[in-house]
Amino acid sequence: MSDRLAKAIFWIGTLVSIAVFLAMTVHTHQSFDALTHADALDAHVVAGKRAFERHNCNDCHTILGFGAYYAPDLTRAHARLGEDGVRRRLEAPEVVFADSFRKMPQQHLPAQEIEDIVAFLAWVSNIENHDWPPQDSQRRWKRSTERLLSGATLTPAAALVQQERCLDCHALAGTGGNQGPRLEWIGGRRDAEWVARYVADPAAVSPGSRMPAYPNLSEGQRLMIGHFVVSLAAADRRAP
Amino acid sequence: MTATTTPLVPYRSQRVAYGYFAVALLLFALQVVVGLWVALQYVVTVPQAIVDVFPFSTARAMHTNLLVLWMLLGFMGATFYLVPEEAQAELAWPRLAVVQLVVLTATGVTALVGFLFGWTQGKPLLEIPTPLDFVIVAAALLFLANVGLTLYRARRWNAVQGTLVGGLVFLALMYLFGMPFYRNLAVDWYYWWWVIHLWVEGAWELVTAAIVAFMLIKMTGVDRRVVEKWLYVELGLFLFTGIAGTGHHYYWLGAPRAWLWVGGIFSALEPLPIMLMLWDTWRATKDGDRALRPRLTWIYVGGMAILHFVGAGLFGFAHTLPQINYYTHGSQVTVSHGHLAFFGAYALLNLSFFYFAMPRLKGLPGARYDERAGHWGFWLTTLGVLGMSLAFAVAGVLQTYLERVRGEPYMVAQEPMRFWMLVVFLHGLVAVAGVLITVTHLLTLKPERAAELLPVDVPAGEGAVRSA
Repeated sequence: MSDRLAKAIFWIGTLVSIAVFLAMTVHTHQSFDALTHADALDAHVVAGKRAFERHNCNDCHTILGFGAYYAPDLTRAHARLGEDGVRRRLEAPEVVFADSFRKMPQQHLPAQEIEDIVAFLAWVSNIENHDWPPQDSQRRWKRSTERLLSGATLTPAAALVQQERCLDCHALAGTGGNQGPRLEWIGGRRDAEWVARYVADPAAVSPGSRMPAYPNLSEGQRLMIGHFVVSLAAADRRAP
Repeated sequence: MTATTTPLVPYRSQRVAYGYFAVALLLFALQVVVGLWVALQYVVTVPQAIVDVFPFSTARAMHTNLLVLWMLLGFMGATFYLVPEEAQAELAWPRLAVVQLVVLTATGVTALVGFLFGWTQGKPLLEIPTPLDFVIVAAALLFLANVGLTLYRARRWNAVQGTLVGGLVFLALMYLFGMPFYRNLAVDWYYWWWVIHLWVEGAWELVTAAIVAFMLIKMTGVDRRVVEKWLYVELGLFLFTGIAGTGHHYYWLGAPRAWLWVGGIFSALEPLPIMLMLWDTWRATKDGDRALRPRLTWIYVGGMAILHFVGAGLFGFAHTLPQINYYTHGSQVTVSHGHLAFFGAYALLNLSFFYFAMPRLKGLPGARYDERAGHWGFWLTTLGVLGMSLAFAVAGVLQTYLERVRGEPYMVAQEPMRFWMLVVFLHGLVAVAGVLITVTHLLTLKPERAAELLPVDVPAGEGAVRSA
C-alpha cells in the first residue's frame, strides 16, 4: 500500500462518516418533536427532569435503557406502575421495598418534586422509541391479554372487576386509568391470596396506599378477584 | 559496541509526566476499591439506613468518574512525555503543566467529595456539576495551549503527534456537548453520546493509536514511515466506523428508524480497525531489530492489543445489531462489554505507557527494571477483570432471557442473577489485589537485579540490539 492510498483512506473514511452523521443529525432533529411529543413537554415536565437529575436517579435506574443497571428501567414506569405507584415509591421507598433484597434511598422529596417527577415519567412513557423495552412492549401487553379477555369477561370475577370499577384506576389491555398499576403486571409478582388480602385493606398491607378498601366484598369474592388478576399475567410472566 | 549518548529522556520538561502518572495510579487504585463496594451491593442486602446516606448511585458516580479522571490524567501525562521527544523541543510552559495537574486533581477530589453530599449534575458518567465543568474546560484549554505552543515553536510535524493532538482537541470539543441542560430527554441522550461514544470510539482511539505508534517506534526500532502509513489507514477505519457508528446508541431513544440501519451497518465494521491495530503491533515486533525487553512492558502491549480487540471489538459486536440489542440494551450484557473494553483498551494502554515511560523517567539503566511483582500484578488484574466480564455476561444473558424475553418483573429476574454477581465480586477481589500490586510496583520501580543484567549487551538507548 502506498502512502498516498493510506492518506486517501484516512480522508475519505473520515469525511464520509462525518457527512452521514451530520445528515442523520439534521434528520433526527426534524423528527424529535413528533417522536417525543414535544408539544406535551411543558414546564412541569422540565421541572421533573431537573428533580430527576438533582437526586441522581439515573445512577441506579436506566431510562431509555441508559444509566445504571441497579434498578428497573423507568422508560415505561408510569404506564406499568400507574401514577400512584410512582408516587408511592418516591414518597416511601422504605415501606414499598421493605421486603425487597434491594433498597431505594429515602430522599425526603418535597411534594412538588414528586408531582414533577410523575409528570416527567408520564411524558417519557409516551416517547415513541420502536416499542422498547421488550418487557413493557405495547404489542406484547395487548397480545397476551386480549386473548384472555375475550373469554374472561364472561366470568363472575370479571363481572366483579367491572362492578367495583377497578378500571377507573387500573389499566387492562391498554384501557382504563393510570392511578394504579396495570392489572396484567401484578400477577408477575403476587399470588391470588396476596391480592385478596390487599383488596380487603390496602393500607394494612402497604401503609400509605391510596387504594380504597373493599370490606363490602366477601372473602370468596376477593379471592376470585385475586385469581382473575393473577390469571391476566400470561404464564411466562409469572414468578417461578 | 559503545553505549549511545542519547539519554533515555532527552528533554527535561518530559519529567512533568511523572506526577500525572503517579496521581493517575492512585486514582486507579481508589476506583477499583470503590468498584468492589458497587459490586457487593448486587450480592448482599444493604440496610435501608446505609442506603439512605450512601446509596448505590453515589458509589457508582465515584467509580465511573475516577475512571475518566485517571485515564485523562494518564493521556495528558503521556502527551507531555511524547510531545517534546517528537517535536524535539522543550515544552513551552513546563511549570504550567504542574499547575494544571494540581488544578485537575483538586477539581476531581472536590467532585468526589461533592458526590457524597449530593452535589451532582445527575447525568451518568458526567455527574461533575457545571461550576467544576468550567474549571475543567479552563484546565483543558491551558493543556491544549501548552502543547500547541510547543509544537508551533518547534515547527516539526509528524503523523504521530498530529494524531495525538487531533485526538485531544476532538476530546476537548466533545466534552462541551455534555455540559448544557437539555429540556428534552431524548435530545439530552443524543448529545450525551457525542461525549461518551465519540470519546471512546473516536477521540480516545486516536490518542491510543498515537501512543501505541510512538511506543512501537521507540521500543522496536521499526521504520517510522511504515508505522505512520498504517497509522493513517487505522485512523481512517476508526473514524469511518466510529463516527456514524454512534448510531448503535440511537436505536431506542425516540430517534428515527433509519438509525437502526446506519448504526447497525457502521458499527458492525467497528472491529476492523482494532484488528488492524492488533496486526500492526504484531508486525512491528517482527520487523523491529531490537530484543523485546523488558518482557513485562511487552506483555502489557500484547495484552492491550488482544483485550482491546476482544473487549471493545468482539464483546461490542456481540450486541451491536439492532435485532439483538432490542433485548440486551441496558442490561448486564452492556456492563460486561463496558468493563472488558475499558480495561482492555484504555486501562492497559495507560499501564503499558506507564511501564514504558516510568523506568525512563526514573533513569533506570537501559530502561530496565525489576519485573517480578509486576508480572503478578498483570496476571491477577487481567484474569480478575476477564472473570468479572464473563460473569457479568452470564448475568446479562439471564437478565435478557428472564426480563426481556419472558417479561418477568425486574426484581424477579435479578434474583437468580445474584449468584453471578457474587462471582463478579470474587473476581473483583482478585483484580483489586492485582491493581494494588501493579500500582505499588510502578510507584517503586527498582533497577534490574545484577544477575539479570549480565547476559544482556550494553543497552543502546532503547534496549539491547538483537544482533549483538
